[in-house]
Amino acid sequence: MFDFKITDSKPKKQTEGGLYDIVIIGGGPAGLTTAIYTARDGMKTLILDRETTGGLAATTELIENYPGFPQGISGMDLMDRIRQQAERFGTEIIEFEEVRAVVPVEEGLIEVHTEGDQVFQGKTVVIATGSEPKKLGIPGEDELYGKGVSYCATCDGPLFKGKDVVIIGAGNSGLQEGIPVLEYANHVTFLEFLAYSRAEQILQDRVRAHEKSTLIFNHRVIEIKGERAVTGVSAIDRETNEEKFFPADGVFIYVGYSPYTAFVRDLVDLNKWGYIQTDELMRTKVPGLYAIGDVRADNPAQMTVSVGDGTKAALAIREYLQNL
Amino acid sequence: MTLLNDEIVQNVKDMLAEIPNEVTLTVFTDDQNCEYCTEIVQLVNEVAATSEKVTVEQYEIHKDNDRAQALNIERAPAIAITGERDYGLRFYGIPSGYEFSTLLHSIQAASSGNTDLDDQVKSFLSDLNKPVNLQVFVTPTCPYCPRAAVLAMEMAIVSDLVNADVIESAEFPDLANQYNVMGVPLSVVNNQERIEGAAPPHMVVDAIRKALAA
Ligand SMILES: Cc1cc2nc3c(=O)[nH]c(=O)nc-3n(C[C@H](O)[C@H](O)[C@H](O)COP(=O)(O)OP(=O)(O)OC[C@H]3O[C@@H](n4cnc5c(N)ncnc54)[C@H](O)[C@@H]3O)c2cc1C
Repeated sequence: MFDFKITDSKPKKQTEGGLYDIVIIGGGPAGLTTAIYTARDGMKTLILDRETTGGLAATTELIENYPGFPQGISGMDLMDRIRQQAERFGTEIIEFEEVRAVVPVEEGLIEVHTEGDQVFQGKTVVIATGSEPKKLGIPGEDELYGKGVSYCATCDGPLFKGKDVVIIGAGNSGLQEGIPVLEYANHVTFLEFLAYSRAEQILQDRVRAHEKSTLIFNHRVIEIKGERAVTGVSAIDRETNEEKFFPADGVFIYVGYSPYTAFVRDLVDLNKWGYIQTDELMRTKVPGLYAIGDVRADNPAQMTVSVGDGTKAALAIREYLQNL
Repeated sequence: MTLLNDEIVQNVKDMLAEIPNEVTLTVFTDDQNCEYCTEIVQLVNEVAATSEKVTVEQYEIHKDNDRAQALNIERAPAIAITGERDYGLRFYGIPSGYEFSTLLHSIQAASSGNTDLDDQVKSFLSDLNKPVNLQVFVTPTCPYCPRAAVLAMEMAIVSDLVNADVIESAEFPDLANQYNVMGVPLSVVNNQERIEGAAPPHMVVDAIRKALAA
């Protein structure tokens, strides 16, 4: 019943500095994959991450559709392995260093400016910043964050042992992350805006089959209630227009993701949702500047796609640097 | 049945192969009310078996109250991780899941007395003149929690005035309720300043400053 994991528990900050062949912004699956290729190829590679490396993938409890792990693997374990693989070939990594601006200086030199007022120089730069959970923007959401409202069921789920939980959003993320919560919570109610779930059938079947779950469709959540702690969620039944109250101690929000691209808004082409447009070689319109993974337009948010993007960028960069 | 599988045992052996000084894991159990005390005792013994520098002492919190008081331990299950000195490293609950990493890093740190903190942070900590208690609430499934826990423990290594209690929230619901823990990691400085999430060292330094100024 217990499992024991060994992960790297210290912030990474070692760097040589100087001019890098590649500076990668974001150490999720996409960025780390590029690094595996470029560092292994002998190119000087740096990854900057605003948090710890691992990206969104590290916060998911169990990944079942990544090839090579027939029993599935925890997101953190998988990301730990991928990071070790990148480091093995000499990738330098700095964590807790948020990039604020990307400044193309001339062909073959792009500057990356961070919140900590550091400037890193790369011959090429890769944007692999992924996305962050969307907020609902309703009363109570910010006020009760950390007081029962959470965006990470893997992290905070165990705090609601024997308690009632509402999960807002019954798409892939909501169902997938809600399933482990069913193991310890008293009851889990899934509230979905749409009249159906867009999640994979296998996830829907698992949730429906569980005796502690209720799936409720066609409801618009309007407020998270509570003073010192969450007491429940108010939602409107979109069919009857009736307001209903769902008592809960914990509320997990899984209503989609929006890309981290504000810092390059004026530099590259974004689609109307803010995702970066590239060509099939992952190139943005700025020479030497690439975008990969969840942050790229028209990508399904999946690990294998991000990893594939990472590879494509690495190969394109090799060619670009050879011709520079 | 062992708790640690062969692969993990080998990794632990590698991690502890070069620790310089002896480390004692002092475990406190509770005969009256303790869900995982058997497992925690078994776990520390399995860890200790991987390195001749690590030894285990075992006490019952009520029967060996003197010992518990001497180590400032008020609840069980608890593990005090001590090296040549008692740096004030405590783990409450069973260090399973990702928290197993925290236990291993605390053994390494208590053995060497060294940390990876940068000089600015070290000098801030060395200049402290009032006690600082860091409580870090964690869960075993939280991937970012070891970051917060290990940081607190490293701070405790640098300064004798700092001690670090890492608390498995689900095993101590009363304490988690008292501090209104609804998200992890949560670090609490001197019972007042709260830091949510795996914060970088300078944020914890700021919180310590605030707590001491209050
Ligand atoms: C709950 C959940 C469950 C999922 N389950 C699955 C699954 O089962 N299978 C699957 O294939 N996929 C799954 N996914 C999707 C998968 O996690 C993503 O597709 C993948 O993580 C995208 O990788 P990425 O590298 O593009 O971005 P991310 O993983 O988001 O990584 C981006 C990184 O960039 C960093 N960053 C952002 N902005 C900056 C900045 N300005 N400066 C520096 N660093 C920055 C972030 O901190 C982050 O570490 C799941 C996602 C979620 C949220």
